[in-house]
Amino acid sequence: MARREVIVVENLTKKFEKIVAVNKVSFKVFKGEIFGFLGPNGAGKTTTINMLITLMKPTAGEAWINGYSILREPSMVRKSIGVVFQDSTVDRYLTGWENMWIHGVAYGVPRRELKNKITRLLRFVELEEYGNIQVKNYSGGMIRRLEIARGLLHEPEILFLDEPTLGLDPQTRAKIWDYILDLKKKSGMTIFLTTHYMDEAEKLCDRIAIIDHGRILAIGSPEELKNVIGRDVVYVKVKEDAVPAKVLAEKIIEDGLALEFNIVSGNTLSFIVEDAYRFIPKVFDVANSLKTIILEVKYSKPTLNDVFLHLTGRELRREEGDWKDTVRTRIRMRFRRRTL
Amino acid sequence: MIEARTIYIMAYRQIKRFLRAKSRLIGSIVNPVMWLVFFGLGWSSAFSSPMAKMVFHGLDYMSYLSPGVVMMTIFTASFIGGITVIWDKEFGFLKEILVAPVSRTASILGRALGDMLVALLQGTIILIATFYLAPSLKLSGIPLTILAGALVAFSFTSIGIAIASKMRSIEGFQILMSFVNLPLLFSSGAFYPLDNLPEWMKLLAYVNPLTYGVDLARWSLTGVSQITPSVDLAALILLAIVMVSIASYIFNKATIE
Ligand SMILES: Nc1ncnc2c1ncn2[C@@H]1O[C@H](COP(=O)(O)OP(=O)(O)O)[C@@H](O)[C@H]1O
Ligand SMILES: [Mg+2]
Repeated sequence: MARREVIVVENLTKKFEKIVAVNKVSFKVFKGEIFGFLGPNGAGKTTTINMLITLMKPTAGEAWINGYSILREPSMVRKSIGVVFQDSTVDRYLTGWENMWIHGVAYGVPRRELKNKITRLLRFVELEEYGNIQVKNYSGGMIRRLEIARGLLHEPEILFLDEPTLGLDPQTRAKIWDYILDLKKKSGMTIFLTTHYMDEAEKLCDRIAIIDHGRILAIGSPEELKNVIGRDVVYVKVKEDAVPAKVLAEKIIEDGLALEFNIVSGNTLSFIVEDAYRFIPKVFDVANSLKTIILEVKYSKPTLNDVFLHLTGRELRREEGDWKDTVRTRIRMRFRRRTL
Repeated sequence: MIEARTIYIMAYRQIKRFLRAKSRLIGSIVNPVMWLVFFGLGWSSAFSSPMAKMVFHGLDYMSYLSPGVVMMTIFTASFIGGITVIWDKEFGFLKEILVAPVSRTASILGRALGDMLVALLQGTIILIATFYLAPSLKLSGIPLTILAGALVAFSFTSIGIAIASKMRSIEGFQILMSFVNLPLLFSSGAFYPLDNLPEWMKLLAYVNPLTYGVDLARWSLTGVSQITPSVDLAALILLAIVMVSIASYIFNKATIE
């Protein structure tokens, strides 16, 4: 049986004044699948979501959500989807329950069922006891959980999650992962999520699209993506007294010992190799011949970070944007407290 | 397309929010009371001569001022209520509405209705207070005063929504309040008669919905009118319809870009 396509995107493009935020993006998402956009800050993830959920008009291209065109049938699209935005969109002066209730009525959930549904969903995200408290007293994690519950209230065909665990502590992140996996298991809901955490993409997604500068660089299951790279990844940290790290790397490639190298940071190199055990002794030989001292060697099976490095020459983790984002969120929080 | 349920929840939200914010509730009462007591009582003693009474169309100053302060309360509350759309933009709730499968016109109408009820509640409290300070006011004028207040509120919450939909950040809020709030208040005839004002100010007065609200309320409560009650009512209805249409038009075009 053919899998049903619930999201079809063709050459979707968004230009802002100066930049092309999303550049001819095409992909499909199938029913019951968790599909993820993995990419650094500014890659165009949120902009893509904004177009798919009909809040922004694409500059070019087209997409169908649940069979409805985002350009010509926006209100049918809106009925088909639930959205959890990157920044919170709850009313902080209302209680969790009231936020849910407003949402339910707006989406035409029958009144008879509404109460039960709210109770059940608040229980699902473990906020049952906090339903009657104003949202301004919630923590960041509680707000995100409330928003997930709210996004599910009208039983959407597709749930959009924009960076569902951004800025949350590890325990809360793990919890939210559990809810998401639970949803897939119990209701077979189709989920489109974005993230810049590789562990999140790897843990949650059936298929991942790696996106950078508005372009999709690769699409596949986490395994498929990692297989693209080869077998092992070896990190080598060198003391750069004699020669720059790059010279060592080039020599190694020249000798045919590794398939590819990347400079991770000033004096750390990563090599993609067939077999780490045979490669590592040879690295020391080459280093000796160049009179370079090796400080540290680590090897691992490739991660999505290595895939990203392989595709872009840059690392995904330790993004500068990370702390900027955090600072921005903090400033906003403080600002909120002061003005309201 | 008008959906009752959308109107209902949007109105519900505005009212709930207002009742939650105790400081807003108190603040909204204290400010007009200060005007009545200090401004009102202060000028009353200065204007106690028969000559002064003529200026105020035969009314003592407190009776002249009271309908104005009631309308001022409603005006300020509804205008600020509309402007809070900018807070919804800043703090995200607007996106929740924009992405919902509801008619934008209905959500504007609901919001305006909610703000109107909130403003009327505040106005009514002040209206009751004025009867203690100006005992000669007519109780029979209350219903028409409330109607005038409702129309004023509807117009100004719509204007607020329209402006806020166009604003990009909350930074402009203070400036906006200074540039809009005071000129509209002072050109409305709430504090002094319009008869001998400079022409440009009169012009401003005639395009100001508040002027008609103040005049209609004053006529209902004291029998004194500077325009004509029927003209007031017609102007108020017309303005309310025009303003809410503009707000709805602008909000319908609102995106998050
Ligand atoms: N409303 C906007 N106007 C102008 N540029 C924008 C706007 N929204 C996003 N951008 C730019 O588009 C690019 C992609 O942004 P975004 O989609 O938010 O990325 P991500 O969600 O992957 O972090 C960024 O360079 C960002 O600065
Ligand atoms: Mg984003």
